[in-house]
Amino acid sequence: MRHCRRPTRLVREFRASLAAGLLLIFVPLAARAGSEEIERLTFAQLVDSIRADSAVTETIKSYNGKQVAIQGFIVPAGAPDLSFFLLSRVSALGNYCCEAPVGQDETVYVFTTKEVNITYDPLRIFRIVGVFEAGMRTDATYGPSLFRIHDARVEEAFGAKVFKTADFPAPGPKP
Amino acid sequence: MTILTVALKYLRGRLVATTLTAVSIALGVSLVVASVLLARGIKDGFIAGATDYNLVVGAKGSPTQLVLGVVFRMDLATPNIEDTIYQSLHQDPRVETAVPIGVGDAFRGFRYVATNSAYFAAFPWRRKTFALAAGKFFADDPPSEPAYEAVLGAEAARSTGLQIGDRFYEGEEMAEYPLTVVGILRPTHSADDRAIFFSLPSYWGMNEVARGMAVKPLTAVLIRPKRMSDLPSLNRELNISADTQAVLPSAVLLTIFNMMAVAENVLKMILAIVGIIVLLYVFVAMYSATMERRREIATMRALGARRATVFGIILAESAGLATVGGVVGLLAGHAIAYLAGLVLGQSGLVTNPFLFNPFEPVVLVSVILLGTLAGLLPAVLAYRTEVAENLAPLS
Repeated sequence: MRHCRRPTRLVREFRASLAAGLLLIFVPLAARAGSEEIERLTFAQLVDSIRADSAVTETIKSYNGKQVAIQGFIVPAGAPDLSFFLLSRVSALGNYCCEAPVGQDETVYVFTTKEVNITYDPLRIFRIVGVFEAGMRTDATYGPSLFRIHDARVEEAFGAKVFKTADFPAPGPKP
Repeated sequence: MTILTVALKYLRGRLVATTLTAVSIALGVSLVVASVLLARGIKDGFIAGATDYNLVVGAKGSPTQLVLGVVFRMDLATPNIEDTIYQSLHQDPRVETAVPIGVGDAFRGFRYVATNSAYFAAFPWRRKTFALAAGKFFADDPPSEPAYEAVLGAEAARSTGLQIGDRFYEGEEMAEYPLTVVGILRPTHSADDRAIFFSLPSYWGMNEVARGMAVKPLTAVLIRPKRMSDLPSLNRELNISADTQAVLPSAVLLTIFNMMAVAENVLKMILAIVGIIVLLYVFVAMYSATMERRREIATMRALGARRATVFGIILAESAGLATVGGVVGLLAGHAIAYLAGLVLGQSGLVTNPFLFNPFEPVVLVSVILLGTLAGLLPAVLAYRTEVAENLAPLS
């Protein structure tokens, strides 16, 4: 019968060092991934957040300064480098079908700092991740806006669904 | 004598072959550099020359033609729309600024652009500013009293040699309506540098058909909305109308960029093939050079040169060739991009001729490494050269 040889001291030390190294690498990564969870926002939430006097609720303002992700259609309203654009629930450029254009409550003003490298398609949904800001503000260049995303990055959202207001029934007891 | 000195002497010894190899490397590199710089330059030229207005309204037809014709003046103008469309947009509560544009003929190839003073106004949201190098802007004259005053873009003034107070026209039918130069603009580094601006009443007065029309014609209207979020609804309304189309200029340019990206990908493949051909050429040149001088190498070895020294000499030769070819190719690439930029500038697209791309050092290092690699096999052959075999008498 063959016996497994006991590992030498050198091999044991190597294994211990390897395990410690792996822990040092992966534990902080896992912790970081947990702490940087990106909140998902929908246009339905944005619409719901508008009160009668056109002010936004404290609930939506609680996202201010946080990283959020939201999906929608890009409307290239600014320069063609996409340093600024609008994100809309409906495609602004599909003129012959679908839905009527939306207003300010379903439009997010998006500001990017890094170069955006996408294949632009007015009928494709994109995922925007960036720092959210809610509340009426007037920018000298882009005028008044209710919702903004700063330092945004643009990702293609394959198979994404854009949530409509109707998908989210108003909260409250059902009759 | 160091390895580098010997390598240099060898390269000088076969000057024609060395020059041809270096030129072929330089051509390959210049092709890559010029293509990348031009692709980037064209894109940047479109971005820099884009209008600050968010919507262009014109007659039904091609959105690309509308933007290229009205903003970049690189295409023919689209058919006319009625001035009443401008009037209604001007009064639309969602519109902050509406600027009428009439694109007409040209003087010595510099396009006539009729507009009003709003075109030159410095709004807080505008990136582009218009400043006069000389003279004044034309006045917003009443339709019944056209002043026929013109403001020239910087390049138009430079190329035509027109000065303040000069009167000009092109075509004998225009002799009755000469324009008088009242202002010359400073360079804007856009298509406006190559335009000749005057008022809409002058535009209508110069045109025989427009003179007799009750409702005057326009080519397009540039729109700036009060709220950006109103853009989609304005765009939709104007597109549903039977008379007009509205386009977001950036959307058109992004579509052009998409098409350019396809062409760039094809170009990348062609450039990769060119790179492989150049690499093979360097290899063949170094290989035949090594084979031709096996006797010399054997003599060197017999005189005490080590195998590693011979190996180093061949590698130094190919690295030297690649370095010279790479550096000359980079410079030539910039020169080609500059010349092509000048040609593109004449068609209305202003590119930056002094563009530097961060990939250039990477290209140079890659060329040197690949060139050295191409010399590796010949260097190994030289390393393995047997003294006795190659020093045998030839006859």
